[in-house]
Amino acid sequence: MSAARRFLTRWLALSRKEVIHIVRDVQVVYMALGMPVVLLILFGYAVSFDLERLPIGVVDQDGTPASRHLTEAMTAGDAFEVRERLSDASELESRFRQGKLKAGLVIPEGYGRKLARGTVSESQILLDGADGTTAGIALGYAMGMSQAESRRMLESSGLAPELAIQDRVRLRFNPGMKSAWFIVPGLIAMILSIMAVMLTALTVAREWERGSMEQLFSTPVGRLEVILGKLAPYVVLGMVQVLLVVTMGTVLFGVPVRGSLWLLFGAALLFLVGMLGQGLFISVATRNQQVATQIGFVTSMLPTLLLSGFMFPVANMPVPLQVLSAVIPSRYFIVVLRGVLLKGNGVDVLWPELMALAVFALVMIGLSSARFKRRLD
Amino acid sequence: MAVAPPNPEHAPAVLEARAIHKSFGRMKAVCGLELAVHAGEIYGLVGPDGAGKTTSIRVLAGLMGADAGEARVDGKDPMRDRVAVRERIGYMPQQYSLYGDLTIDENLAFFADMFCLPEKEYRERADRLLALTRLERFRSRRADALSGGMYKKLALSCSLLHRPRLLLLDEPTNGVDPVSRREFWDLLGEFTHEGMAVLISTPYMDEAARCHRVGLMHHGRMLVEGRPGELVRGFPHSVLRAVGGDREGLTARLGVHPRVLALSPAGSRVRVVVERGGEAEVRALISEQGATCEGAVPDFEDLFLARLREEES
Repeated sequence: MSAARRFLTRWLALSRKEVIHIVRDVQVVYMALGMPVVLLILFGYAVSFDLERLPIGVVDQDGTPASRHLTEAMTAGDAFEVRERLSDASELESRFRQGKLKAGLVIPEGYGRKLARGTVSESQILLDGADGTTAGIALGYAMGMSQAESRRMLESSGLAPELAIQDRVRLRFNPGMKSAWFIVPGLIAMILSIMAVMLTALTVAREWERGSMEQLFSTPVGRLEVILGKLAPYVVLGMVQVLLVVTMGTVLFGVPVRGSLWLLFGAALLFLVGMLGQGLFISVATRNQQVATQIGFVTSMLPTLLLSGFMFPVANMPVPLQVLSAVIPSRYFIVVLRGVLLKGNGVDVLWPELMALAVFALVMIGLSSARFKRRLD
Repeated sequence: MAVAPPNPEHAPAVLEARAIHKSFGRMKAVCGLELAVHAGEIYGLVGPDGAGKTTSIRVLAGLMGADAGEARVDGKDPMRDRVAVRERIGYMPQQYSLYGDLTIDENLAFFADMFCLPEKEYRERADRLLALTRLERFRSRRADALSGGMYKKLALSCSLLHRPRLLLLDEPTNGVDPVSRREFWDLLGEFTHEGMAVLISTPYMDEAARCHRVGLMHHGRMLVEGRPGELVRGFPHSVLRAVGGDREGLTARLGVHPRVLALSPAGSRVRVVVERGGEAEVRALISEQGATCEGAVPDFEDLFLARLREEES
């Protein structure tokens, strides 16, 4: 039998064995196919940057048609919902403390009179700053609406207002500012990295713990054969997950696919091999399932969540963290995913990211093969 | 138990070890191991836990590097010529080492592929092994659902698929019932007829008697080596069996007696290994304690215990 035939025979046999492990371990199947669905639903519906029905309390001390008009204007959209009408601004704070309200609108006495006189009138917006993200988004909405209301009033009084700068804002790629469109690509990266690192972190460590590694090493099998034999089934499983998450993202959240799916799957393949390699490396180095799981979790999920640009833009991070994020493959993968799904980008734009993913994959496979000693001492 | 056919020592040596040393930190696991196992020979490595048997076998299998000394399998170095050596050896580690969630057939097929056996050869070999081990009926049963004895027979079959020149067995019958142990040894006999060399480690003295040659290991060193029958025949000391009397007093007195080399209580009896020339003295002591005393034929265990005692004093 030629050397190549031997290599293939062993690779296939190792992969087949790994598939049997996966298929017979119901937990792995649940984890591999159930977790992406749960995560996608959790993140897709729960993590939303869209503001809907934020409880607002109104303190209308003016009580004129003009003040009522302002209240109506503020709550016209879906952003705010009037939960309570209070008589004193100080009551708002206790409602904030109890968490009953997130925002407050105070219209002082004389609001309508000043307006009628044509002088500048005031209203106060109070926000619960403990929840910074919500407060920030609420502030944007509130300002926007009060400005629109101002302009409308000026127009109706005949003072046609012309601002020095007319902003004509158009949001490209995600005109509706839908959070899901923004989150689903990041979520694909997160699911793949957790699954890939965790599953492979377990597989080699398990063989050490169960003693089968000793038997395996007494055969003429090569380490690259073992590594590739372990990788192949998980690459296939990972691609099934990509398909699952992309399909769900499209069907449930209407995420567009504007670029080439082939490019998307190609990049996913590169990313997967890199993350699987990272998992193998952890597994080879620790030889212990529990330690491997913990290290795997910390080195896959956390960086993808925090440092990859999934939730927080890389450009806003302090310089040391930006440097750190440069070696996190999900950072590049997310750029590719957003590029392909939302912008319809091709290889001409995304090649640096693809290169980075390829380099990471090669380094990880190389490291785990080098570290993978076929001996017990 | 039937002793396997003699004089394979004239056959060529399949395994040779010269002055092998191996330490783990400050603990010396193996010190100067010298060993030769010939084609068709069963060599037993006997010794208590921690004697260095497992480390010796792992070094010889090329799973660990020796600190000093050299090993040769068919003239090849297990560390430098890994692939060539691994194709020639079958190895059965002490602990469970097959894939528990794979069936008998799947485990066999997997290891056959690791050795790249052609399909036809694999089928023939697997059928023959399963027939010999009487595991045919359980082909589709998972390895972790097998009894201890069946599991060991499967592990043996997996390590024999590629017709190794040398079989390394690390305490293969540990934790196996006596009937299965006997069956296991009968199987080994079958395969050495084909000219395979076997190095087997065991803590059971009765098994040592079934080997062509045995080596007694203790604290990493080889104490005695030879054919079990000859070793026992050449045993210079005598063995007594004390029955009845005050057992506690008897063992207490005998235990501190300078002429007593070993004591092993068995039921109502106490087996005593007495240093040469001290028999009369000890007989008198036994009668004093109200026990009757008779002479016994020395066996391998007596030899082993006496040698350990001599080594320690």
